[in-house]
Amino acid sequence: MSRTFGEVVALAEVSITVAPGEFVTLLGPSGCGKTTLLRIIAGFDRPSSGSVWIDGDDVTGRSAHRRPVNMVFQRPTLFPHLDVAGNVSFGPRIAKTPSAERARLVDEALAVVRLDGYQRRRATELSGGQMQRVALARAIVNRPKVLLLDEPLSALDLAIRLEMEEELRRLHRELGATFVYVTHDQREALALSDRIMVFSSGRIEQVGTPDEIYARPASPFVARLVGDANVVPAQADARSVVVAGSRLVSPDSDVRGLAWAVIRPEHITLAPSAPGHTGLSGTVVDLAYRGTGHAYRVQLDDGSTTLKAETVGGPAIGVGTRVDLTVAENSIHLLAREGDLEQVPSTEPGSGHAP
Amino acid sequence: MEHRQRSAFTTAVVVVAVVFLFAPLVVVVLFSFHSVGALTLPFRGFSLRWYREIWRSPEFRAALRNSAIVATTTALVTLVLGTLAAYALSKARSRWRAPLALLLFLPLTLPGLFVGLALLIVFNRTDQQLSLATVTIAHLVYVMPYFMLLAVAALQRLDPSLDEAAADLGAGPLLTFVRVTLPQVWPVLLAATLLAFALSFDEFVITFFVIGPDSTLPMFIFSSLRRTVDPTINAISSLLLTTSVVLFGAAFALTVRRGGVAALASRPSRSTQPGVLTNGS
Repeated sequence: MSRTFGEVVALAEVSITVAPGEFVTLLGPSGCGKTTLLRIIAGFDRPSSGSVWIDGDDVTGRSAHRRPVNMVFQRPTLFPHLDVAGNVSFGPRIAKTPSAERARLVDEALAVVRLDGYQRRRATELSGGQMQRVALARAIVNRPKVLLLDEPLSALDLAIRLEMEEELRRLHRELGATFVYVTHDQREALALSDRIMVFSSGRIEQVGTPDEIYARPASPFVARLVGDANVVPAQADARSVVVAGSRLVSPDSDVRGLAWAVIRPEHITLAPSAPGHTGLSGTVVDLAYRGTGHAYRVQLDDGSTTLKAETVGGPAIGVGTRVDLTVAENSIHLLAREGDLEQVPSTEPGSGHAP
Repeated sequence: MEHRQRSAFTTAVVVVAVVFLFAPLVVVVLFSFHSVGALTLPFRGFSLRWYREIWRSPEFRAALRNSAIVATTTALVTLVLGTLAAYALSKARSRWRAPLALLLFLPLTLPGLFVGLALLIVFNRTDQQLSLATVTIAHLVYVMPYFMLLAVAALQRLDPSLDEAAADLGAGPLLTFVRVTLPQVWPVLLAATLLAFALSFDEFVITFFVIGPDSTLPMFIFSSLRRTVDPTINAISSLLLTTSVVLFGAAFALTVRRGGVAALASRPSRSTQPGVLTNGS
């Protein structure tokens, strides 16, 4: 399907299929069309062309209130005039569920999001995390065929976010419903999904399991968005790849000639410069302590390339130190590169968490 | 913080302004309780004789009944039509909202004289007998913008994503309005309705043009003034004043209710989050 706003193409001929019970994440920077797609599934927006099918039914022409989906919004949009139970029972009440049954459903849904006993609280008396959990309960109480989540954790503090991620995984396991999750946070996408669909400028860049997306990104864009990889120009032949003037062992790959080499920071090890080293070498230009180890930026000797590297444990190597770099075997992922002048496509800065 | 000096001059200006505004009201109310027929000092003592007198007057009771009928009808019709119009306006595409709002609020700026004359011409040309019905129609024209002003403001303050949440949970437009929109704005709508009643109840200028054989309370006062001047006028005026004050007071209390009482009531639970500053108003 596609969706255009005047001249602006929000979605360009995008087609996705989600299996029943699957947890799919639409990942991409803001303005990439992922939220537009979610709103089209929910029925808040109409595609300019194409259709939406849910469980064998064409729902393209159906209003939002007639679709078997429920949404958790970015902000917890709780009804301010109702208490927690009133909010959660809103859907069943509209569906004319008898009141005894309704009360049972509400208690059950609140138990699932671990908020039993909060029935009589006002929405304004809850913390952000609690509000979002009420919003979750309000959605799942209707047993939707598809649960839509529009960056539900982005307004929460990091600690609560991690806790909520765990809750979401548990919920997905317990409910067995189909989840479609939108986020710009690659860490969330990797942690939660069965499958990730990476969006860029209204198009799908890659679809795959978190492992596939991380280990074998289909484009420099995906490589940089997910896991903050090094993407450097390279020259590949059958057995080796030349990066920044150094010949490295190449993995199995069909890519020949001009290439992008994708190297994960954690696959690079550093050691203070020693005579006899034949690989890459450079100078440490930045150093950050990460708890489990250190994150470095190393300026290579060719003068134009900076590599990110992450070490686990070990002593810090100070800024300005000359270092030798070793890239772990079979860890370089090659992508075809067209033309020599092409710049590495940049992505928005990631959300700032190391994977 | 530096303590602000209040000059004697500003204090004096405020006192004079307050006296100027309220002295006539005090005089009117005071003499409505006068025990004798004189409207001049010295004040000779309190009595309720003028209130008893007007209550015995059939003309007064007819006028009071007419005013009550007109004001109630005006208020109820305004509530229904005004709410629908305000809701439509708040949902209108942004391109149309400003010109539509201008059109709906414009009557506020028209002089009563003009509105009254215009309506009289319209009723004349359409061969309408002047009656309480024409007065009611005129009052609708007069109070609608005031109602709209309050109702539109209240509706536009609402979070539009709540409508989406309601739709997502299966509520169609009508159910969303009844279950989500109304519960949030009813105090303001009620306040605006009381205001409409109060405005209609003591409207004079427009009424003067379109009134038929049946008198309303302000018209009754006007015609009594032309005959005699005695404290019955003060008694009627005091009643009108009391009605207005009570209604406006109630309307005011309703519109600030959320910010005031609700915030106070929920304060204890907020004290657990000292960092969060929430202000309802």
